Amino acid sequence: MAGSWWMCCRRFGAGFATSRLPDTLRCFGRRSACSSASSAGRPPWSSAPASERRPLFPAQSHSRAPDLGASVIRRHPGSLLYPTLQTCGCRATHSDAKPRDPFTLAQKDLASLYDDIKKELFVATAELQYLCDYYFDGRGKAIRPIIVVLMARAMNIHSNRAGDLLPGQRVIAMISEMIHTASLVHDDVIDGSDERRGKKSINEVWGERKAILAGDFILSAATKALARIGNSAVVKVVSQVIEDLVRGEFMQLGSKENENERFKHYLEKTYKKTASLMAHSCKAVSILVSSDPEVHEIAYQYGKNVGIAFQLVDDVLDFTSGAEQLGKPAAADLKLGLATGPVLFACQQFPELHALIMRRFSSKGDVDLAWQYVLQSDGVQQTTYLARRYCEEAIRQISRLRPSPERDALIRLTEIVLNRDK
Amino acid sequence: MFPAPGSRLTRLLSVSVRGLRRLSLFSSSESSSTWSKVVSDAEKIVGYPTSFMSLRCLLSDELSNVAMHVRKLVGTQHPLLNTARGFVYDSKNNLQMRGLIVLLLSKAAGPGHAASDLLTQDMVSGIYPSQRNLAEITELIHTAFLVHRGIVNLKEWTVSDGPLKDMEFGNKMAVLSGDFLLANACTGLAQLNDTKVVELISSAIGDLVQGIYYESSYNAEDGLGEGVDVTSWEDQTFLSHGALLAKSCQAAMQLAKHDREAQRLAYLYGKHLSLGHKLNSDLQPFVESRLGEMTPISLSAAPVVFHRQIVGKERWHQQLQEARTLRNQLDYTKLLAAVKSEKGVSSAVDLCRYHSNRALEAIQAFPSSEARSALENIASAVTKF
Repeated sequence: MAGSWWMCCRRFGAGFATSRLPDTLRCFGRRSACSSASSAGRPPWSSAPASERRPLFPAQSHSRAPDLGASVIRRHPGSLLYPTLQTCGCRATHSDAKPRDPFTLAQKDLASLYDDIKKELFVATAELQYLCDYYFDGRGKAIRPIIVVLMARAMNIHSNRAGDLLPGQRVIAMISEMIHTASLVHDDVIDGSDERRGKKSINEVWGERKAILAGDFILSAATKALARIGNSAVVKVVSQVIEDLVRGEFMQLGSKENENERFKHYLEKTYKKTASLMAHSCKAVSILVSSDPEVHEIAYQYGKNVGIAFQLVDDVLDFTSGAEQLGKPAAADLKLGLATGPVLFACQQFPELHALIMRRFSSKGDVDLAWQYVLQSDGVQQTTYLARRYCEEAIRQISRLRPSPERDALIRLTEIVLNRDK
Repeated sequence: MFPAPGSRLTRLLSVSVRGLRRLSLFSSSESSSTWSKVVSDAEKIVGYPTSFMSLRCLLSDELSNVAMHVRKLVGTQHPLLNTARGFVYDSKNNLQMRGLIVLLLSKAAGPGHAASDLLTQDMVSGIYPSQRNLAEITELIHTAFLVHRGIVNLKEWTVSDGPLKDMEFGNKMAVLSGDFLLANACTGLAQLNDTKVVELISSAIGDLVQGIYYESSYNAEDGLGEGVDVTSWEDQTFLSHGALLAKSCQAAMQLAKHDREAQRLAYLYGKHLSLGHKLNSDLQPFVESRLGEMTPISLSAAPVVFHRQIVGKERWHQQLQEARTLRNQLDYTKLLAAVKSEKGVSSAVDLCRYHSNRALEAIQAFPSSEARSALENIASAVTKF
């Protein structure tokens, strides 16, 4: 167990980021993540001084960005990757451009997303076709393709090309949504969910067996499209996601007795189930345009950190958002027996929760009781705070790229991830 | 639309029975000794039959976890139990069949002309490591779908059939373990460093899903719907039982950089062998001489499909009615007799021979070798009943 955890740590953070995760995890063992982090003398998340004292989003206004960039240069020589360090000049000209909404910016590349997916899913059997298309109705947020498309353009510009997507990059944006959807279809069977995105789930309407087959079919169509890109390295990177998704699902079956182990387990599961797809899709589009492993790592780290933040916020919303907002009943995780961030933090304040977590909230009244504990604790705030830390790390990583509207949109996107209410 | 409650259980039981049959295709009758010999001889030719990939997969935390959980299913009727049982008791000659054929074809084709000498040095018993990995991947995919085929539709389940909780749990395990095998197949494919192979095998997975999807829609109609004719039976059976082997055989040639013609022939061998193989197993209940045993027969089995086409829809419906017992169950002895009285069985036997011959033809272009002989023996064995 320990071995595999350390391997995971290695994957979580390469280079100077390596020390960060264990540091943070150590913090979780104590009462307050915030105080222990600053008392350690070395802020675990950002190379800038203790983050409470500076604005959350240095890049919110472009004038703040050089601060972060400068500190990166000071601490890690050579970590700013574009060769001509004309930081100031470049940013000055760039800051004339108005910061644009990530969704608007990505839209032109994603206009035909769902049509393209439906073309990949073409089959002779009408019913199977209908099932496969069922969730590609445009109601999803398509957050993954948006990230992938923006990352691809930012990477292209960073690599001295025009921003326009390469054909393979467009395919990866599509695949990211397909893999995500295939896993949702299977998750709904595993969790026995009867609703998804405001409509009945596939298993509810057509039964479990067909739902599983539809998920398998979407996955096979995705890997077929992936293979057609014709790049073995990209195939390897993206197929890692498929393995991570299943391993994450397996991790969700078990729980850990020890509190520290439990948090590691939770973060590792979050990485595998959510962040891996974003991280590896980002890495894949960077591989298609650049041969520099350091650049691939930036893409990977951005995707990973935003992905974990995204899921942490999702876990918070499960407690804070009403059923009508999220499109699914709140406290769904508790009902499934899952202890997510807010509960794990609450457990540090209310050790009574431990027993409930261990029996996966299976006794009568457990769900309500756990809910009460979470609301009384600062579990929600601490989870949000943690999500913010991951977003800061994502910003720090992406800021190492040459400036571009898409890069800045990726920075803006972290804000949207944190502030979304559904 | 919905069958009477009694038949639901029958159908489920017959699903599990068929699951078992699939795992022990050729070990049920006298033909089993021929088959076992052909297979065990062939296994010696390819050196060791398995690579470490399946071992790694089987010994993983995830699958041992599933194995522990599957024990909880003992005493329930979840099909996963039978599938799992098949791995333990019948893993010898049938479960690794597809992999074995991929290995034999790889060996029969030998090193590709375009392949470098360096690569040729890595060959073990005349087979490239990548081809061995491919053989394992083929097995992983096949097994994954054995498991996913056994997912139970919970709404068709009634309390009298047993606790719903068991079925939910069995489904969960089946989804996860099938997904796990598929995911391992995906990462294994990626390691082969050949995107053409990835594309081929991915499309085979798509075919397999379509075939099984069709299979499960058809079974749901209990044979009373429009039914299929022989041509569409062959198309569907190719998807559900042939595409994976055919495309794996082709991919094995691609991995050794053999030309398109070799790839085409390997594909044809895999395709026709699979169809012959399926016809053989469909024919088993009709050619067995054992009496007094009421084996449920699938209404989508080849001889029944042929029979239905020969006698026509109306006569078939009449025969189905006559075979129904008071409790709305099918008397399989009666049905068997009805099918046997016409030419359905012999037509299916003819088709089986046809596919066996086509498979034999396909490998004639490969140089004569013991691996080719083994492939010939296997292709001939599917016509032994």
